[in-house]
Amino acid sequence: MEAFVSLAHGLTVAIQPMNLLFALIGVLLGTAVGVLPGIGPALTVALLLPITFKLDPAGSIIMFAGIYYGGMYGGSTTAILINTPGESASMATALEGNLMAKAGRGGPALATSAIGSFVAGTIATLGLTLLAPYLVELAVRFGPEDYFALMCVAFVTVSATFGDSPVRGLTSLFIGLLLGLVGIDILSGQSRLSFGVPELYDNIEVTTLAVGLFAVGEALYVASRRHIHEEKLEAVRGSLWMTKEDWKRSWKPWLRGTLYGFPIGALPAGGAEIPTFLSYATEKRLTKHPEDFGKGAIEGVAGPEAANNASAAGTLVPLLTLGLPTSATAAMMLAGFQQYGLNPGPLLFAERPDLVWGLIASLFIANGMLLVLNLPLVGLWVRLLSIPQPWLYAGILVFATMGTIAANPSPVELVMLTVFGVLGFLMRRFDFPIAPVVVGLILGPVAESQLRRALSISLGDPMVLLESPISATLLFIALVALVAPFVLKGLGRFKAVED
Amino acid sequence: MTQFRKGLWRTAIAAAAVAGFVGTAAAQMELKIMAPAAPGGGWDQTARSMQQALTQSGIAKSVQVTNVPGAGGSIGIAQLVNNSKGDGSQLMVMGYVMVGALLTNKSPITLDQTTPIARLTAEYEAIVVPANSPIKDAKELAAAIKADPAKVTWAGGSAGGVDHIAAALFAKAAGADPTKINYIPFSGGGEALAAILGGKVTAGISGYGEFESQIKAGKLRLIGLTTPADKATADMPSIKAQGIDLEIANWRAVVAPPGISADQKKALTDAMDKMAKSKEWQEILKAKGWEDAYQSGDAFAKSLAEEQTRTKEVLTSVGLVKS
Amino acid sequence: MSTSSHRRIDAAGLVIALILLVLAGLVWWDMSKLQILSPYDLGPKVMPIIVSAGLAILAIGNAISAFRGELPARDSLDWRPIILILGGLAALILLIAFGGGFIIGTALLFATTSAAFGRRAFLVDLLIGFVVALIVYVLFSKLLALSLPTGPLERLI
Repeated sequence: MEAFVSLAHGLTVAIQPMNLLFALIGVLLGTAVGVLPGIGPALTVALLLPITFKLDPAGSIIMFAGIYYGGMYGGSTTAILINTPGESASMATALEGNLMAKAGRGGPALATSAIGSFVAGTIATLGLTLLAPYLVELAVRFGPEDYFALMCVAFVTVSATFGDSPVRGLTSLFIGLLLGLVGIDILSGQSRLSFGVPELYDNIEVTTLAVGLFAVGEALYVASRRHIHEEKLEAVRGSLWMTKEDWKRSWKPWLRGTLYGFPIGALPAGGAEIPTFLSYATEKRLTKHPEDFGKGAIEGVAGPEAANNASAAGTLVPLLTLGLPTSATAAMMLAGFQQYGLNPGPLLFAERPDLVWGLIASLFIANGMLLVLNLPLVGLWVRLLSIPQPWLYAGILVFATMGTIAANPSPVELVMLTVFGVLGFLMRRFDFPIAPVVVGLILGPVAESQLRRALSISLGDPMVLLESPISATLLFIALVALVAPFVLKGLGRFKAVED
Repeated sequence: MTQFRKGLWRTAIAAAAVAGFVGTAAAQMELKIMAPAAPGGGWDQTARSMQQALTQSGIAKSVQVTNVPGAGGSIGIAQLVNNSKGDGSQLMVMGYVMVGALLTNKSPITLDQTTPIARLTAEYEAIVVPANSPIKDAKELAAAIKADPAKVTWAGGSAGGVDHIAAALFAKAAGADPTKINYIPFSGGGEALAAILGGKVTAGISGYGEFESQIKAGKLRLIGLTTPADKATADMPSIKAQGIDLEIANWRAVVAPPGISADQKKALTDAMDKMAKSKEWQEILKAKGWEDAYQSGDAFAKSLAEEQTRTKEVLTSVGLVKS
Repeated sequence: MSTSSHRRIDAAGLVIALILLVLAGLVWWDMSKLQILSPYDLGPKVMPIIVSAGLAILAIGNAISAFRGELPARDSLDWRPIILILGGLAALILLIAFGGGFIIGTALLFATTSAAFGRRAFLVDLLIGFVVALIVYVLFSKLLALSLPTGPLERLI
């Protein structure tokens, strides 16, 4: 109850007109930069830090929070409309979202994404209000072995993105794992698969790979088939708005996505990518319309989008309670706190409750603002797809390269983007699934380094994986998830015989 | 080519200005500062803070910040040395981390090819243990490492970075074999801090700022800082004062391209000297919690050379650099 | 798996298998040069070994499906648009690498991509691309203080 009293107090801070204005500027800026691939909220906050130096602390931190939430919205919009995920967290959204947009259902896709983000953001912020102190205790107890076990769970679910051939799906996954090897190995400081090219030492940027595979690859593929297969994009087919059926199919994925996103986002090395893919895999398995997956299933948008935004709120748990920045954006927000001589952590709640609770309250407000801003824009956004095809794709490519250049103005990065584009084109042509490549790039290095850390700490004893209760439980879940489909199939066959 | 010519043109102005009427004319200075890292990191923040201080205090007319990220600064320095030769309006932010990165990445470009201008800030490394750890001070930690280096696990930043080097130096000073330390690199400060708080490792090592609020909240015990012995206070014990010979700082500095004239070098050094004293810069240092470690001219060139030698020794001893 | 009765060997599938095999070899070769530095770390070699072995096995798997002719049918390919788009990207890369600047490169990419999708008004598109790039450049440099690669045009702004 104490939390609610504090929150109410925080609300009085947040609804001061100036702070409302800062929140509005924040969400607008956040949405704008979230749309650009490669330029995430972290970069924006970094660039704004010197400007906000003279502002009052509450105002600028509230603005940063607005940018953070806004960035999450913006990234999904481009993922759905033009298959260009603005940041790695909206990759899973692109999978079904873009298919929906192409089928003229971009409106409902954007709507379910906006409402799902709102629902998830609100629930997760509520979780932040009430559960932060407890959750953080658990989060800190999560050791390298537990992260490795979590990666195992994630790996098992990758097969959901495989398409119809396991051999081709695994091939894609291993190409991703191979790309994950490129760069300096963080544990030994040695470079792998870099061939002396310094630009490769920093590992392959997930957004460069995703934008290359998704956006550039697709542009090449569509262009190469124009002479036989003229792609007709209809911006709106059927309802622009979500139908009753859409609502029915969305609300459970929203809640499940939140359940994945918030706790995993709160883990110091959790991130937003894993919960979004877990959510995608879960929805694909649970859906009553499996035939829609691969053609644009609304569940595949609703779940990951909710997971994405919930994890953003989750990240604030360790940031505010421990001063632990667990994402690039959180690190920048930490820098934002520090420039006012404030150190997030257990003491901040006691020293500056007005600031902390003002921030939390403004998260609710930013979330509401984003919903109000985004829903009416859905119609406008969808019209983007009515741009003549040559200009649309030319715009997509300009967009994709511009994001890459702004984040890293190096020709080598652009060469990589182009190479990944060609890879994406070839994979489409020979029917290899694309998502597992990205999943491999994200999960491979994390799984490797966490396992190696766990074994270094235990001096090489693999039993550490089973001795930790968290890790043992997660490994058990992974095993069940791996075996269950076969068992169920067996049971199904058994039943069929009985009938 | 045009860039080169334009640089010459600009430096000509700057040089003429300096030669003519020092004080006021320096206000005509147009500077370019390269941060050899992506926007947002420490070097970028330093570059943008310099931009702020230099323009607001009127030392420079305009300052443009560019980012050349990659490989711990190896790409940025290559660009500085190869493309900006003789450009007296160009500066690059760098730091101790770059000294190690250039060595471990086997970079063909070395810091000897740049023109050292000034060291700006420094942050000392802090060694901490979880609050419930039996280890109380640096001596006990040293004894534990000497007894069995494998059992003392360290959490810190990437392999070959300043945290790793400091841990190796600590082991060496403690009389243990630095190649046998069980140092576990984590990506990003948050992850390492979580591992220490969760009691997954024996000790943690990183810049003091990373640990500050946890130490104040009583969740971490500060074993000591890598400050000189005479800088120690009751709250900020120095490791050296506890009898373990370890002194290291993670400093940040600016260097200029190779091949600039003595006048150009003097103009840049003067600008930095003035900036370091300015009210604006001092305010930024305070706000960011950066320690002023200003040193310019030959003194800085000398300490830079010393750091390079020492770092090479340590990295060779842990096997990251082939001698 | 569809039991295909027609045993037409798919040459492209064999090439894919071969590429995977080469990649497996490359990863293995690169791995062999790494060293194990810390006595407690599993070392940087384990993951490359797993990846290399996996790729080798998958090369066999892909070869088998190629022999069975299991690869999906492919349409004929129009090379012209691919060359146009890749040419635009190459132009952008070269312009940035050699100081031609962001604006010209982006305008070119816009125009070539648009041409790849069947537009014939190259000059008009070049102009549109130019305006788009100009707006972007000004927004980035003035609003965000992010410097995009400069060339002769950018210096005029």
